[in-house]
This record gives sequence, C-alpha cells and structure tokens, in this order.
Amino acid sequence: MRAPGTSLAGTGTLVRFALRRDRVRLPVWIAVGAGLVATQSVSSQALYDSPQDLAAYAASVGANAATIALSGPPVGLDTVAGAVAFEISSFVVVLTALMAASTTGRHTRADEEAGRTELVRAARVGRHAPLTAAVLVSAAACLAMALAIGAAATATGLPAGGSSLLGASVGAAGLVFTGVTAVAVQVGASARAAQGAVVTVLGAAFVLRALGDVEGSWVSWTSPIGWAQATHPYSGDRVLPLLLCLLATAVLLGVAVALLDRRDLGSGLLAARPGPASAPRSLRSPLGLAVRLQRGALAGWTVGLALLGLALGGLAGSVETLFGDNPEARAFLPDAASVVDAYLATALSMAALLAGAYAASSVLRARAEEAAGRAEPVLATATGRVAWLAGHATVALAGASLLLLVAGAAVGTVRALATGDSAELGRLFGATLAYLPAVWVLAGLAVALSGLLPRPAAALAWAAVAYVTVMAFFAGSLDWPGWVDDASPLAWTPLVQVDDAAAVPLAVLTILAAALLGAGLAGFRRRDLVAG
Amino acid sequence: MAPVIAVSGLVKTFGSSRALDGLDLEVAPGEVHGFLGPNGAGKSTTIRVLLGLLRADGGHARLLGGDPWRDAVALHRRLAYVPGDVTLWPGLTGGEAIDLLGRLQGGLDPARRAELLERFDLDPRKRARTYSKGNRQKVALVAALASDAELFVLDEPTSGLDPLMEAAFQDEVRALRDQGRTVLLSSHVLAEAEHLCDRLTIVRHGRTVQSGTLAQMRHLTRTSVSVDTARPVPGLADLPGVHGLRTGDGRLHMDVDTSALDDVVRQLAGSGVRSLVSAPPTLEELFLRHYGDDVPAEAVTPALAVR
Repeated sequence: MRAPGTSLAGTGTLVRFALRRDRVRLPVWIAVGAGLVATQSVSSQALYDSPQDLAAYAASVGANAATIALSGPPVGLDTVAGAVAFEISSFVVVLTALMAASTTGRHTRADEEAGRTELVRAARVGRHAPLTAAVLVSAAACLAMALAIGAAATATGLPAGGSSLLGASVGAAGLVFTGVTAVAVQVGASARAAQGAVVTVLGAAFVLRALGDVEGSWVSWTSPIGWAQATHPYSGDRVLPLLLCLLATAVLLGVAVALLDRRDLGSGLLAARPGPASAPRSLRSPLGLAVRLQRGALAGWTVGLALLGLALGGLAGSVETLFGDNPEARAFLPDAASVVDAYLATALSMAALLAGAYAASSVLRARAEEAAGRAEPVLATATGRVAWLAGHATVALAGASLLLLVAGAAVGTVRALATGDSAELGRLFGATLAYLPAVWVLAGLAVALSGLLPRPAAALAWAAVAYVTVMAFFAGSLDWPGWVDDASPLAWTPLVQVDDAAAVPLAVLTILAAALLGAGLAGFRRRDLVAG
Repeated sequence: MAPVIAVSGLVKTFGSSRALDGLDLEVAPGEVHGFLGPNGAGKSTTIRVLLGLLRADGGHARLLGGDPWRDAVALHRRLAYVPGDVTLWPGLTGGEAIDLLGRLQGGLDPARRAELLERFDLDPRKRARTYSKGNRQKVALVAALASDAELFVLDEPTSGLDPLMEAAFQDEVRALRDQGRTVLLSSHVLAEAEHLCDRLTIVRHGRTVQSGTLAQMRHLTRTSVSVDTARPVPGLADLPGVHGLRTGDGRLHMDVDTSALDDVVRQLAGSGVRSLVSAPPTLEELFLRHYGDDVPAEAVTPALAVR
C-alpha cells in the first residue's frame, strides 16, 4: 500500500518552479487585464458624465444587437459603473480564459512533449503532481487577476462591492477554463490539438453567450462566459453564478484526474492520426513551405479580422445616434465631415494596426525558423538565402494585405446593408486600400530587422508595432513634438473619408517599404545564420 | 584529380571565441573521409562554412571547385547534407519533410526513397513532433541518400541510431563509395570511422592535428603486445621502441613502436612462446595520444551533462 498523497509528491516544488518560469508572463497577462478595466473606467466616466449622456448611451446600446453580441447582457446601463462592466467584461473574461488555458497547457502537455515531464517524474514526483501544480498555478493567476481587476475598478472610482464582484466573475471564468484545459490536455492527441480544442470551446462559449444575450434567452446559461456575466456587477450583484463556475471547475478537474489515470505520459486519449506519407505538389519551394507553415495562423487572423470588421461596421449605427450631439465624444475622434466617417476611419486604422501586427509576426516566423535551426537544412539545399526569406516575406505581405481587405470589405458590407446604399461598400473598400502602404512598411521593417539585426529583430519589430499603435490612438491627446508622430507610417496615410486621397505620401510609403524589404534581403544574404 | 574539398588555414571566430583556428582539410574524389574530433573541436563549424551557412573570417575553402559562400546554391545542387542535430517542422510528417528537402535539393528517386524508408524502418506518416532524435535523423538520412548527389556531407549522422540502424547506415555509405561518390563523415564514434573511412582528419580546438590514411596513422602508433612464454625473455627492456613493459596475470604486456616490432619478435622467438596477442591501436588510442589528459574530461562530461 502506498501512503495516501504519494501521487501528489513534489507538487509544492513544481508550483514554485512553474511560478518562477512564469514570473514575467503572468504579471503581464494580469497587468493587461487590470489595465483594460482601468482604461475603460476612466474613459467611460469622462464620456458619460451627465445623466442625459448616460441615458442616450443606454438607449442606443440597449437596442444594438451587434454591441450586445460583442459585450454581454445589457444590464445596469443606468450607472456609469454598469456601463464599464458591460463594455469591458467580455474582453477580460476571454483574456483571462486564454491566460488560464495557456498556463495550464504549458505546464502539462507542452512540458510532456518537450520531454521535461519525463525528467521531472523520474525524480520523487507523484503521478498527479504535474497536473495539480499546473492547476494551482493557473488558479492562483486567476485569483490574482480577480484581485487586480477589483482593485483597478475601485481605484478608478467605481463602487468597491461591484468592483470586487466584477473581478471575482472574471477570475471564476478563468477557473472554469483551467478545468476545460485540464481535461483537454488529457484527451488531445498533442499539446497543440488540446489548445485548439480549448480555443474552440471558448469560441463556442462566446457564441452561445452572444446568441442568448441578443435574444435575452436561457441560452446564455449554457456558457461559462454567460455565468460570469450573470453576476451583474454594480446592478444585481448576484453571487450564485460564481458557485456555478466553481462547481463546473470541480467537476472538470475531477474528470481530468480520472482521465489522467487512464493515459500514458506524453500521449492523449485520442491517438494521433497518421498524416500523409508524401508531400503535396505545393510543398516544393521556399514559398510553398512558408505558406504551409503559416496558413493556419493566417486563417485564424482572417476569421478574426472579418468578425472584427462586421462588429465595427455594426457599431457605426449606434455611434451616429450616440455621439451625434456629444461634443466631448467628438473630441476623441478625428475632425470629420460626419461623425460616422470619423468613427469608420478609426475602425479602419484599428484593422490596419492588426494587419501590421500580423505582418510583423509573419515575417518574424522566418527568424524563429532560423533560430530553431530549421533554416539550416533548407539552405543546405539548392535554395538561396533571398528565396528563403522572400518566401516568408511574401506570405507576410500578401497575408497582411488580405487581412486588411477582408476587414474593409466586412465594414463596407455591413454599412451598405445598414444604409441601403450599395456605394458604401466600394467607398469603404477603397478607403481600406490607402492603408496598405503603411502596413507594408511595418512588414518591410520586420524583414530589414531580421536581415540586418537578427538577435534583437523580434523585440524591435514589436516595439515598432506598439509605437505605431500608440501614435494612432493617442498622438492627438499627447503633447509630444510633431516629429514623434510623423515617424509613424499611419500618420502619412490619408483618412479617405476625411482627407483628399494623397497619392504622394502613399507612393513614398510604398517605396520605403520596398527599400526596407531590399535591405533586409541583402543583409540576410551577407550574414551568418544565427541560431538561438 | 582536384580535391572535392580543399580547406586551408580556415579561421572562424564567434565574438571572442575562436571556433576555427587555422584548420586544414582535404578530401579526394571518391573517398570516404573521416572528420574526427571531440565535441567542440570545430567539426560542425567547418561543415557550416563549407555549406555557406557561415562565412569564414580567414583562410581558403573550395568545395567541388567552387566558392562555398558565393556559389552556395549551385554547389548545393551537387551535394546532400545531414545535420548533426536534425530539427524538423513539428506539423509536417516525416514523409513530407523528406519530399520537401529532396525536391529543394533537386529531386529524389521515389523507388530509392521507398527502399530507404524500409531499410531504416521509418514511418513517414508520423508528424515530426512525435519523432525521437533517431527518427528525425533518419528523415534527414533518407532525404540525403535518396538524392543523386556527388558529395555527401554527414555530420555525426548516427548519434541517435541504434546498432542495427547503424549497420544499415554503414552499408549505405559503402554503397556510395562503390558508386564513386565522395563522403565527408564527421564523427566522434571511432569504431564507425575505423570501419568506413579511407582517410581521416583529426581536429582539436579548431586545428587539424593529423591527417592521412588509417595505415599511415598506425605507423605513428604503438602495437600492444601481450605474450606468455615458457622462459623469461631477456633484454626486452633494453630494446629501443618498447614502452610500458609490465607483468600481469602471468603474462608480459608492452606497447611496441611499429619500427621495433621485428626486434621484439626476434627476441621472443627463443623463449618458448605459448601464446601471443598483438592488437593494432584503436582510434581510441590515437585519440588518447592526441588529446592526452583532456580525454577523460571531454569524453565523459557531455554524456553526463543531460539537460
């Protein structure tokens, strides 16, 4: 007979080890969550500072299906605090679910696949210890997120009770997804498959919640996100849904442990299906390889930007009713002939920034391939340096352009349907084209950095994306010298609904993008491969 | 005939560390050339320079009559490479990786591919993320061996293979030699080089310490002799070229310079030899002589340093 608790031997050490490995990751997730809540709280309090403004907001939002689908049940909109919870809770719930999923997955199957668990389990560590430690770390992160959100909301002037409940709801949803991930990593054929399953569950939970909230029906109660939002912070202040979350978490964890006892280390309950024994015809060139490696990510981004385009387009209607006579709200938007056009320009800028972020991540995939040693076998074949890097750069440029055009088409389609004016589609799609050169510059910069400064390339490329993002949204409100903003390619992009199309800056941006691309390719041709 | 690989005085530095410090290497057409040295001696760095993946800081390197950096793409059409540490794309199957690398190299023979998969007992339908180190190595080996290259550059190709697969690999290398192809085989598995190689280059700390055929190197080394005689053998200790004379288990042991073998045998002949064992030096002993005291540290540490 083994002593009870033997299967948990070493859990404490593993928890400390996991916390050490995540000492940067987790605080960043939590800071982003709390930061989103604090930002929303401050800006909502500034926007709806009179009862009339708030009433107009509640009337507009309460009738807008797109907003409800994106945010949650339209309750408590008669107070600013309720409006904050409505606007931000769905985002932070999804953020926290992703944090819990990645944390739980990272310390279970991902470690098993890397062979690290084998080494750990060979020491005096029980069979259940790695899973238990991962769940404890994820739960601790959810708790920290809950406290941070509660503190951020309270500190920015919202009622303490409701703020604590808001935080607790978000944390409880994170616990449920800790449980979902704990089950998925037992079942999935690989760590990647398990993560995919969790994201699918999260997506389904979001859709069910959106359906239920739009119809005002029971369907929301089938979704853990719905449970988290059913607490109605600042209005109903209901605690019962939290117990539902805890109950679901307990059941899921119980299932996970039962499944853990029925599987082998390193493999899921579902066996990996064999793949093709030979490569398709398309896999015969550096470009073919780059497409194959990046197609999954691009598909995900495309769906995401299409949905975002539909949502942003759908919100344009409420902007019109809401901000039409609110001068303070107008101050947040660029000068424009019409408030809606100004809003749409901001929406397209957002799509352009996301396309730029995709471009950077896609180019940096090449650098990641090189660092992992996977460029070496390809470059040892009759494949030139330029062809290899250009393969990834082509995917980045074409993919980012596709994303932007999909988002533009989605915004345009929704607006054309809403206004009944089919010319809107062409007008907004055309407006999107003007953002292409700015996006290409971000892609070109990432190529130049990868070719010329391989080691800091990723950090610098992301810093550039962050800089352009900050300038796009805050340059107007920051009292910085003009050149700080002027260095951003988006600053030179005409907002077509607002400005006259300016061909010269766009041509200059395109030439700049090409020059950066050329410099990066030339630099890569001249340097050593850099592993690690 | 012009050498397939001609490297002289090659220098490569990474920051302050000098990975290659005047390395020489010459590989003749049609030979299997062993490239030996302990870990960190500069074998992989030399190979990466020859493949144009790294740029040399000094010295000369010619590969198949071309410049390995400038003519990389043209030269790579004529060679096949198996890296020491094969990393593959986790989402691609082994078969897909073989086809991709083969096609990029200039095409591979499907019949040969099937034969090699059978030979190395590799399931091409598995995703690379599930492969062990040995299986990843097999993927690179199949892709290389199924190609029609003139030169095969193999960087410690058997470090993850089991003995059965190692034997299959050795058969394949012999077949390549029989077809007149050139092989550069880097290794620290001495028995492998001993079995396969026509000539050897031994490197250490980025420099070539010795180069030649195995016979030429043995010339420089001592034969170990162990003998059991009816009567004591007089005067052995006084013979020049006899080293480490000692008795143990009732036998006489000594290490004899090749030049002194004749004298030793003459001396033994009158003493009633009951049994005599003589062994040529193994590469292990060659290594021991070249690396002296370093060997225990360098040979033992990597095996223990499991991350």
